[in-house]
Amino acid sequence: MQTSNVEHVYRDKTDKRILKKNPWKDYKLHITVLVLVIIAQIIGPREIYIANGVEVSIMPLLYTMVLGLVFYLAKPIKWIQRKQARVAEGAMMLFIGILIAKLAVSSGHSIHLIFEMGPALLLQELGHLATILVALPVALLLGFKRESIGMTSSIGREPEVAVIVDKYGFNSAESRGIFALFIVGTIIGTVFISFLASISVSLIPLHPFAFAMASGVGSASMNAASLGPTLAAFPALETSIEAFAGFSNLLSFSIGIYIVIFIAIPLTEKLYAWLEPIIGREAIVKEETGGE
Amino acid sequence: MADFIDGSENVTVHGILNWILLLVIFSIITVIGNYIGYEHPMADSLVGMGILSLITLIGVWMERELPFNISSILYISIIGILIALPGMPTSDFVLYYVSQVELLSIVTVFLAYVGIGMGKSWDEFKALGWRAVVITVLVIASTYYGAAIVAHVILVLTGVPAV
Repeated sequence: MQTSNVEHVYRDKTDKRILKKNPWKDYKLHITVLVLVIIAQIIGPREIYIANGVEVSIMPLLYTMVLGLVFYLAKPIKWIQRKQARVAEGAMMLFIGILIAKLAVSSGHSIHLIFEMGPALLLQELGHLATILVALPVALLLGFKRESIGMTSSIGREPEVAVIVDKYGFNSAESRGIFALFIVGTIIGTVFISFLASISVSLIPLHPFAFAMASGVGSASMNAASLGPTLAAFPALETSIEAFAGFSNLLSFSIGIYIVIFIAIPLTEKLYAWLEPIIGREAIVKEETGGE
Repeated sequence: MADFIDGSENVTVHGILNWILLLVIFSIITVIGNYIGYEHPMADSLVGMGILSLITLIGVWMERELPFNISSILYISIIGILIALPGMPTSDFVLYYVSQVELLSIVTVFLAYVGIGMGKSWDEFKALGWRAVVITVLVIASTYYGAAIVAHVILVLTGVPAV
């Protein structure tokens, strides 16, 4: 099993962007980020009431992300182009370190929690397998074939993409599936999970620590976005919630990838072999890529 | 073309300097946001960001210099946990200053870079059909709820009191 490449996707990307360029020189990018952050913090968090007792909190973190995307896409803003996006991507890879360090400090301070709640922390990693049971049948009903194996076996961030490409090859249907998941997850994932977490903490009576652990889905930005509303909903538990998110991250990044390789992918293959003849539809992928 | 350094993948002095300058920029932006949003004193949160930047720097350096096949994220986690452990001589100092930097201030800056970086994927995103969006939403929701429900059940079974 070629896991050596898999674990270094972040490193290779960061090195390419940071060591070969001088990202700190791109002052237009950093000043833009500073302006976005100032705007977002001045507006501050807002709550939108949907119905009785259900509210969605919109955090400054969403403003900066959406504004960042808008700045890139807006034609009049000439100083944020593809080059800046590449630099921003490299910067983000290093920035993940700051985020992880902050969570780790909270985890160290609350180390007793891991002894008290270790089983829950470990086993919730297996809860991620729920995606196979839920999303695979739907993918088959929508007419996906082998693509569905890449699309539904995991959350589909960089390490999982590397695993699938490594196992099935770059041009395989499985890889096409996880590329689609990766792209859509990149664009809508963070906003979606933030709303999901926000509605869930006010509507579903699960333990606050369960929400904290669940936020470690294996993507730093989704983790951060789902932690925001959880912290806002339980302000008294701030350090514990950060600690659980830190532990959960540590687990996702150390054993998460092995769960994908040794459990998730084989399970998806089995379920596919069983369900595809029963509920599989006519393949849609050929026409779609050809027609558009 | 002036940006061309050398072909090696190893950490050069130049590379470390790049990282340090980038971390300094992150720290300044985060501290300003942290001041506007949460009114934490700038000097204290700057020290906090200094500590976090140092952990990050050591983590990425260890990943590239040590012969083990371990991601920097794990090194950073382990260093962060160790220096904040109750009883460690660094613990009080680290905790005081790092707690001056709100997690959400860090995330707000982080996601600004993510937002600009994701712009590159916009055209590819538009080319994908609605079916891919449906599946992605299902994958994220069931990953999140799967973990939350398993964690909740185990917490209740092991008798952790609801808060």
